[in-house]
Amino acid sequence: MKDKSILAVDDESELLKMLQSVFYRAGYTKITTASSGKEALAIFRENQPDMVILDVMMPGIDGFTVLKEIRKTSTIPVLMLTARGEADDKFLGFENGADDYLIKPFLPKELLLRVQAILNRAYPEKERIVYLEASTVNLDKAEVYRGDEVFSLTAKEFTLFEKLFENSGRIVTTGSLCETVCGEFWQGYENTLVTHIRHLREKIEANPSKPVSLLTVKGLGYRLHIKGAEK
Amino acid sequence: MKPIDRFFRRYILSVIGILLLFFVINIVLIGILFLTSYLNGVKDSVFPMERFSNLIEQKNGAFAVDPEANDILAQTDAWAMLIDDEGAVIWESGLPEGLPLKYSASEIAMFSRWYLKDYPVKIWNHPNGLLVVGFQPGTISQYYISFKTRYFWLVLFICLAALVINIGVMIFLFLRNTRKIETAMRPILAGIQKLSQGETFHLEEKGELAEINTGLNHASDYLAKKDNTRAEWIRGISHDIRTPLSMILGYSSEIEDNPDLPAATRRQAEIIRKQSEKLRTLVADLNLTTKLEYSMQPFRIKPLDPLELIRQVISEFLNNGLPEGYELELSGTDTDIKTFLYGDNFLLNRMLHNLIQNSITHNPGGCQITVSVKMDNRICTFCVADSGCGIKESYLALLNNDTSIPSSQTETAEAEHGLGLKIVRQIVKVHYGDIQFSNITPHGLKTEIHLPDKFKG
Repeated sequence: MKDKSILAVDDESELLKMLQSVFYRAGYTKITTASSGKEALAIFRENQPDMVILDVMMPGIDGFTVLKEIRKTSTIPVLMLTARGEADDKFLGFENGADDYLIKPFLPKELLLRVQAILNRAYPEKERIVYLEASTVNLDKAEVYRGDEVFSLTAKEFTLFEKLFENSGRIVTTGSLCETVCGEFWQGYENTLVTHIRHLREKIEANPSKPVSLLTVKGLGYRLHIKGAEK
Repeated sequence: MKPIDRFFRRYILSVIGILLLFFVINIVLIGILFLTSYLNGVKDSVFPMERFSNLIEQKNGAFAVDPEANDILAQTDAWAMLIDDEGAVIWESGLPEGLPLKYSASEIAMFSRWYLKDYPVKIWNHPNGLLVVGFQPGTISQYYISFKTRYFWLVLFICLAALVINIGVMIFLFLRNTRKIETAMRPILAGIQKLSQGETFHLEEKGELAEINTGLNHASDYLAKKDNTRAEWIRGISHDIRTPLSMILGYSSEIEDNPDLPAATRRQAEIIRKQSEKLRTLVADLNLTTKLEYSMQPFRIKPLDPLELIRQVISEFLNNGLPEGYELELSGTDTDIKTFLYGDNFLLNRMLHNLIQNSITHNPGGCQITVSVKMDNRICTFCVADSGCGIKESYLALLNNDTSIPSSQTETAEAEHGLGLKIVRQIVKVHYGDIQFSNITPHGLKTEIHLPDKFKG
């Protein structure tokens, strides 16, 4: 993912320098910058970057207009990086097709994690394999390999696992998991969720009664632990 | 509105009191008048006709007059005469010159009730005729009232009715005027009350009190303008500070994470980064508290699962890494809560976040923090409790005072409070709830928030 080209757009040249520095240090190699909306559109048309980090308030063409122009011809991921932190600004950004919205001031680590997550989603690897303590999960085939056995994940088990995988190492609340499966009105689904989790454990854990990968966080939700990742 | 109602109620009662006072004073004055008159001999001022008549007797064809009769006439400066049935004067005493000694029946009828040639007279039926006593002109007023008997009761009724109508009209006009004053004054008083609370309003600039309304509108506009300017200034500052702060955070993180740099430099960078993060939080808090204060924060009410709300807040803390020495858990919670809480998810999340953060900030040695929720009688109660050092009772009283958010910078030398608690209180207020702080035995602080189900459709 580090070889993906990223275009950073901001009218503050010092901030652009800092962004370049942050991304270079993180291992990214193709970072281009633009200090105005007009310049950003010109570079976008010429270079076709893999991702755009876009400020909103710029002299001339603002970020939302640039986003609209980009969306006319492309579906590349766009992260809005702006000082405009109002909820309505966020909604406007997402309505215009932004993939993420990060409000200044931000921590470089947070920006890098978000960019990484966006790139992972937008440019998935050919085979998405998740390594767990007792098993391996192929996300593209929705299959679990444990020893010599192969288990297929049901649609709901797969949705749950993908949600847990996207947030691996972090607690995902019961409500979030239910919402992922049922949508906005998930109340009353908690018991069914427990059943799905049990079935999932039966497939990915060596001993479902003593899980080591898909852990329960009492009262809160669940956490997926990927093999090799820090606990 | 209660103070205004109280004011007008007191006003009406005081006027009724004044009317009663007048009534009592009048009765007392009339009493004093009668008493004074009695003491001054009003009773004796009436000429004693009967007694006087008895003092005049006919004996042996001549009239014998008791000396007392002459005394009575002398005391009252009066004269007397006795007229027989033929109209002739058969006896007299001090009869003024020019008065005839013979009277016709019509003359007697004419003066009997009023005056005899300007002399006010009184008459009495004497065994020998008609006794007439006359007084000096101008000393006695004589009136004769005569009307049909059936009109007497009518007049009496009209008099009483007039009295009652007068009192009724007086009360009606008084209440009407009070009502008019109340109608005119109520918006003005309400406006003044709003001004005292820093709220804005607009009054109609018409009527007799238009000038006052205009003045109050000016004051309100001025207040609104001042508030807007302040709010805009804070928003502007918080906006303008974001990009520079991003660079401070970015470069300090870069330096902190650069293994090629000396450890001392990296530690200094870490301090810069941490302080910048505090600034970032402060800017966000300042922005939010300003927006809440001036009702600029969009308020999005939707049904929420209170338990999930707590789960999200706790998970956020745990996912971002709790500092060493702290434990955070969902505790003693009714896991079967089926009722929704109607509120703003972002604000309620922020409220719980601030309370938990408060426990962490004020207990640097670490503590156990428990969060719970229960639904009872359509009231959702959130409780955040810690096993930390608690707070002083005097400070607790200040915290529980609705009107003030104490600042540690003036009260104690302890860690800064920032705007966290102020924001919590503001969020509770916009949800029509209340907040209560209390110390836990043996140590710790408990914060309870009660949110009524005000927004449920």
